[in-house]
Amino acid sequence: MGLLLLLAVLDGLAYAGQLFMVAVGLTLVFGVLKILNVAHGSLFAIGAYVAATLIGWFGAEELSLLALAIAALAVGALLGPSIERGLLARIYDKEHVLQLLVTFALFMILEDLQKLLWGVQPRFEDAPVRLLGQVEVGGIFYTAYQLLLLPGVALVALLLLVWFLRRTLLGRSIVAVTHDREAAVAIGIDARFVYLSTFTIGAGLAALGGALAAPTTSLVPGIGVQMIVLSFAVVATAGLGQIEGAAVTALLIGLARSLAVYFAPELEVVVPYLLMVAVLLIRPAGLFGRRELRRV
Amino acid sequence: MLSLEKVEVAIQGARILRGVDLELPAGGRLALVGRNGAGKTTTMRAIMGLVPLVGGAIRFDGRDLARVPAHRRTALGIGYAPEDRRLFPTFTVAENVRLPAELLGLPRGELEARLDRVFELLPELRELADRKAGALSGGQGKMAALARALVTGTRLLLLDEPFQGLAPALARRYGEILARLVERERAMALLVSESNPELLIPFVDRVATIERGEIVGLAPAPRLAPP
Ligand SMILES: Nc1ncnc2c1ncn2[C@@H]1O[C@H](COP(=O)(O)OP(=O)(O)O)[C@@H](O)[C@H]1O
Ligand SMILES: [Mg+2]
Repeated sequence: MGLLLLLAVLDGLAYAGQLFMVAVGLTLVFGVLKILNVAHGSLFAIGAYVAATLIGWFGAEELSLLALAIAALAVGALLGPSIERGLLARIYDKEHVLQLLVTFALFMILEDLQKLLWGVQPRFEDAPVRLLGQVEVGGIFYTAYQLLLLPGVALVALLLLVWFLRRTLLGRSIVAVTHDREAAVAIGIDARFVYLSTFTIGAGLAALGGALAAPTTSLVPGIGVQMIVLSFAVVATAGLGQIEGAAVTALLIGLARSLAVYFAPELEVVVPYLLMVAVLLIRPAGLFGRRELRRV
Repeated sequence: MLSLEKVEVAIQGARILRGVDLELPAGGRLALVGRNGAGKTTTMRAIMGLVPLVGGAIRFDGRDLARVPAHRRTALGIGYAPEDRRLFPTFTVAENVRLPAELLGLPRGELEARLDRVFELLPELRELADRKAGALSGGQGKMAALARALVTGTRLLLLDEPFQGLAPALARRYGEILARLVERERAMALLVSESNPELLIPFVDRVATIERGEIVGLAPAPRLAPP
């Protein structure tokens, strides 16, 4: 029982790390663009596939961590700007329903693209996990990759993001646009550039989440779907646009999910949503959300 | 310095401004007076580039602003205080006021000098500097919004209904600040809107009246009777 609990917590932490990186990108992008990007999970999946491919190409185990970083950077830097400039920029002034449909269409296209490029056979590349070996915690052996690297990277990502948003001019511009796009433009903020950078950062974070997840799981078509659905749950539970809130909520949902896996497997799938529904019934704006004061 | 020539603005097909003509020389102080819904705010948003023109032109120093993206207009020396303040609530007062100056990329010394000049005019803001804008009262918010506009508005300042919603004591204080401002910044042009013209008379030299998106009157501001 004690060991199982420990295992569940460790699994939950590792999962929460990935979940946070995907969810925080989703919430950041929504805050600025006001578009809920359904295709966000595909960026996670593509990040994972590209990482696996690069690990294969690089061959040497020692290079496998580098492969993960390069995969995240490449996917973010290439897909981020092309999706934002090529597609989303054309629909900012359209209705929400249309925006949702467009990102859904993009999601379908990206899913097919994955099957086209990587086929439907499961892929498994765990070189980074083997590279880092195992550590003993409380009498069980656990991979250092999942125990330290995954949550560590997520924590660093959170701290960097908070620092970036508070302390840099671009970060503050992003926050300002999140609050009030027109007021931001009126004081000299280039909203177009803010949109582009925010989406690219969000895409990069999703891809990083995917790249880090790759060595811990078999890659099969559809892995992005579970991630996006859980990310929606995280974002809604935390309150839209909440960065630190997304971290806490990812942790909550990650832990709840893995506790369910060990102790009530039949509930694994529903636990995150039960949590979400319970929170939203009590606090409709989410755990950390403030209800927007609507201007007339 | 600022001229609006037959400016037309339509929002969702409805014509909001119908051929607005306005002239404002350097150092000129113009009140834009009209009822709710007359088009005062839309005129200011058009000058800031926040709504597209469907006709006419806005020039600043003879240059057609159509070719200056909205976010570059502060760099021309224009500052805008919107009617509902529009501060960024999670930023402190100091951060709100500083941000437009930082975006101009001014050298550090010049940036601090500019902020000092602003706070000198609004000393009460110094005490509120570290307060989150979201926690300000309406009147304090107005002061902070004025400060934010002053940072970039060295040549042209747009104030949209600055007195609206201010309690009498605060309105008096705001009036004092404006009086000192126009006294100090002789070359700055001021365009200020209000539904009640009397509040503005002391600070302006001309009053333009707007009705349903058209300028229907332009007159020198009446001199106050000598005591
Ligand atoms: N975003 C908008 N959508 C639709 N109508 C608008 C919008 N903004 C302003 N209007 C209309 O334009 C007219 C002028 O508005 P505005 O410029 O705000 O007037 P004022 O500032 O003088 O009160 C009003 O009839 C208002 O209803
Ligand atoms: Mg108005």
